Amino acid sequence: MSQLFSQLGIDWHLLISQAVNFLLLLIILRLVAYKPLLELLHKRRAKIEEGLMKADEADKRLKEIDQIGKEKIKEAEGSALQILKRTESDAKDLEAKLLAEAKRKEEIAMKNAEAALRAQEEASRRATEEEAAAFVRAAIIKTVELSPSAIDDALISKAIKEARQG
Amino acid sequence: MAISIRAEDIFHIGNFPITNSVLLAVVAFIVLIVLAIILRSKLKMIPGGIQNIAEAVLDGALGLMDSVLGDRRKSEKYLPVVLTVFLFVLCSNWLGLLPGVGSFIVRTGDGTVPLFRSPAADLNFTLALALIAVTFVNALGIAAIGLKGRLKVFFNFKNPITFFVGILELISEFAKIISFSFRLFGNVFAGEVLLTIMAFLLPYLAPLPFMCLEVFVGFIQAFIFGMLTLVFISMAVSEGHGEESVAVAN
Repeated sequence: MSQLFSQLGIDWHLLISQAVNFLLLLIILRLVAYKPLLELLHKRRAKIEEGLMKADEADKRLKEIDQIGKEKIKEAEGSALQILKRTESDAKDLEAKLLAEAKRKEEIAMKNAEAALRAQEEASRRATEEEAAAFVRAAIIKTVELSPSAIDDALISKAIKEARQG
Repeated sequence: MAISIRAEDIFHIGNFPITNSVLLAVVAFIVLIVLAIILRSKLKMIPGGIQNIAEAVLDGALGLMDSVLGDRRKSEKYLPVVLTVFLFVLCSNWLGLLPGVGSFIVRTGDGTVPLFRSPAADLNFTLALALIAVTFVNALGIAAIGLKGRLKVFFNFKNPITFFVGILELISEFAKIISFSFRLFGNVFAGEVLLTIMAFLLPYLAPLPFMCLEVFVGFIQAFIFGMLTLVFISMAVSEGHGEESVAVAN
């Protein structure tokens, strides 16, 4: 047997050295490479799972927010409609009030205008009377200058009075 | 041209001979350690460069182990043994194909010998790995199912058939060592011989296809060594091992 081993080159010294070489490599690789790398892979997997979970949660939250948003928009639309209706009715009230006010002001203005017109008419009638009187006086004076004894002031006033009544 | 089945002694440390195959095994050891240290120093949550390769290898190995062991926790537990066997054998085989290995010559008391030799072309390397693999298989088996459960695989006195199967299992443990060591040794040594002869007969270009073949053989042999270790571990750590073969025999 030992001759066979010797022919095959098997030497227990070399066996031990190769075995120790491998065992050392196994220990070092386990500590330096496999363990940290496996830990890193676990950490990464946990992180990815956490990320996926958070993404799911965010998705749910987004859907909830979307739902809430839709409800809020619906509420806002409802309240906007109410506001619109209220505004419309307010506007109608205001319009009626303004119309009434305008009518009242128009009536006042009409009254004022009528009064002014009457005053103006009165003034112009007076002016016309005065002018006519002055004209008659001037005519009479002219007539009197022709025959002053036949005319007196009483006649003139009588004539004017009659003319006014007529 | 001399082809020796034995690895040649380069020098001695006390009574310990240091052969050219031990030297290259040490180089493989250093290469792997240096790569591991570089990897360790560059580990980041977002991988890049060497970490990408390491993660791809680790993930591939874990996937393969999952398919055999059926459990990720078990795969992670036995990963160091299986992957180290694979990487060490692969690195040794490929280093043995590098230019310079076999062509750097040193003068020793026995004459001129190559400075390096592929570690797997030395039975001491393959036998040491085989012994370690089988020892680990049994140790992990004991750790998983207990000493009693493991011994029951070899010494089962329930009936004559289980007893006979147990004896076969015991013999197969020794057969594993022999098959492990001689398969790897035979393939790598044959490759070395083939390359040496081709280089001797037709030094230019002709060895190239054989070199490519040896690169492939080096990978396949490392893969087979690792896979067999994995399969034996898987059988050893499962509760029903031994009983299935009895059931089949019945």
